[in-house]
Amino acid sequence: MQLNPSEISDLIKKKIENFDLSAEAHTEGTVVSVTDGIVRVHGLSEAMQGEMLEFPGNTFGMALNLERDSVGVVVLGNYQHITEGDTVKCTGKILEVPVGEALLGRVVDALGNPIDGKGAIDTTETAPIEKIAPGVIARQSVDQPVQLGLKSIDAMIPVGRGQRELIIGDRQTGKTAIAIDAIINQKGTGIKCIYVAIGQKRSSIANVVRKLEEHGAMAHTIIVAASASESAALQFIAPYTGCSMGEFFRDRGEDALIIYDDLTKQAWAYRQVSLLLRRPPGREAYPGDVFYLHSRLLERASRINAAEVEKLTGGRVKGKTGSLTALPIIETQGGDVSAFVPTNVISITDGQIFLESNLFNSGIRPAVNAGLSVSRVGGAAQTKIIKKLGGGTRLDLAQYRELAAFAQFASDLDESTRKQIERGQRVTELMKQNQYSPMSVAQMAVSLFAANEGFLDSIEVNKVLDFEAALQSYMKSEHSELMNNINATGDFNNEISSNLRTAIETFIKTHSW
Amino acid sequence: MSELATLARPYAAAVFKRAKETKATVKWSESLAFMSAVLKNENIAVVVDNPKVNKEKLSTLMLDICQEHITEENGNFLKLLVHNNRLVLLPHIAKLFEAYKAEDEGYVEVEVFTAYTLSKEAKQSFTATLEKALGKKIHMNVAIDKSLIGGVLVRAGDRVIDGSIKGRLQHMQKALQ
Repeated sequence: MQLNPSEISDLIKKKIENFDLSAEAHTEGTVVSVTDGIVRVHGLSEAMQGEMLEFPGNTFGMALNLERDSVGVVVLGNYQHITEGDTVKCTGKILEVPVGEALLGRVVDALGNPIDGKGAIDTTETAPIEKIAPGVIARQSVDQPVQLGLKSIDAMIPVGRGQRELIIGDRQTGKTAIAIDAIINQKGTGIKCIYVAIGQKRSSIANVVRKLEEHGAMAHTIIVAASASESAALQFIAPYTGCSMGEFFRDRGEDALIIYDDLTKQAWAYRQVSLLLRRPPGREAYPGDVFYLHSRLLERASRINAAEVEKLTGGRVKGKTGSLTALPIIETQGGDVSAFVPTNVISITDGQIFLESNLFNSGIRPAVNAGLSVSRVGGAAQTKIIKKLGGGTRLDLAQYRELAAFAQFASDLDESTRKQIERGQRVTELMKQNQYSPMSVAQMAVSLFAANEGFLDSIEVNKVLDFEAALQSYMKSEHSELMNNINATGDFNNEISSNLRTAIETFIKTHSW
Repeated sequence: MSELATLARPYAAAVFKRAKETKATVKWSESLAFMSAVLKNENIAVVVDNPKVNKEKLSTLMLDICQEHITEENGNFLKLLVHNNRLVLLPHIAKLFEAYKAEDEGYVEVEVFTAYTLSKEAKQSFTATLEKALGKKIHMNVAIDKSLIGGVLVRAGDRVIDGSIKGRLQHMQKALQ
């Protein structure tokens, strides 16, 4: 945006005209000590918990410890210029961040300031970062799906709009990959995405942004980045910032998906802040309220009913429900899910997608452990066709797992056992999917149908993926009407079933792979 | 600083209670102020900070200096502080004592900074307005601060009412950013 000098002076004139000249009343305190981003302030007898406090040099802090004679404040950002004796002012506001449609396509820091070099964000609305989750009356049960575009997840561990589904696994098991695929797959669905990167390398964040841009997914995505080099305070508040931005869409009767990548690092940042504030350490040196840290955040991801949306928008939006779906990510150490933070978050969420490094290393990607992964509410939200066809897949895999140990004695096994093992091997193979290639409902239905109806049984295990790829391209070119129909309705009936069967039979007869 | 205030609180509370019992708040207030002033003296500060000076000598020294300004009870309090190694708390105790006194007598200490001297009438009307605004009687200390350029800045405890030109300019600077 280019401005000429006269426009600039007009702008300034307008601002001066509207300037409030009344005397300013506030409470003041003095800095007593500055230690590792924690400032003790004497005075400030009227400070509120979580209040934004103003330091000299346009720096802000958040009051976290209110004591008899002093206030413990964590500085949001750089604290090197703050010295003993500086005055600190109360602002009378809880920490707020900008929210709105204008944030879509942007990369912002934990305070909502743009960091992508694309200029100021054109929004006037702000929202406090800490809000109480919607009450019982305001809620509605989850009954619409969020398609992540991954066969193994959408078929076996479905996620519904407003659900909290944990993605848990060791480092390097493809947790972020699932999240990015989920964002890419929301293109054109109207679901707005928020990706909160906590304590990650700047290079990883840049990578994510580039990948999303390449796949045209940035237009419906906000990225909130609190990288490893930023202060612990910012890493600790980043998820709440992202959540407030997501709630903006939820409260207007839209759907949003938020990914917290990852909450382990946020718990570390909060532990650091708490220990520096001299709060007593508990298990694994985390403070006593680390459960509440995550529960209050994840409780805000919810589906709210049309009446609540109407109330929140003042009657502007009628008859639409809103939802905020959360996909928190937790990184485990050596597959240990019984550590403090993983058990906490597992118990808070509505299910988990469990990723294993040995599956990942043996080439099963996404490395989803179908036995340990569950979705407690997603079943009600699944599309009819995937629900019908996915059930068989889950069963095949469960039976296969029990028998897998005997697979090497294949020659000594009876017919039915051998068949189950072979089916299991093929289904396991079929569940593999490349990164950045999410599938539509119809594509998934075709693959699952082929497996369920035994079309894969006559195909060699290492040819399964080739078969699938050839089948998909055949279906796309020859039966696009059927595919579109499935995508549009998601229904499953005898007609669709027989259509699919004839299509696959013709394909097997006429094509090679 | 804040930790020292925490330590000083029980002493100040005890002193204030005793002072009220004996109806000697004014006297106590004066002597506490005097003793704090003595402690601010550089030579005395060196002695107080020196761990090698033994307690008896220190209390004799302090009593000698303050002799004419303090009562026997004040002296006993001084001895107690020396004995507990809490002599450094004296300025905080004095401050807290004043706060208790102000609360008890129902007024607030208000510091007013102006760029120019206030006329008598102005001062009176200003006092009335402030008393209304704060809902309490006030004891006003007026000081001149040329850097304010104009207007007044009022400080009552933690609360600051900034009606100075300087404050407004700073405010405007932020609004125009």
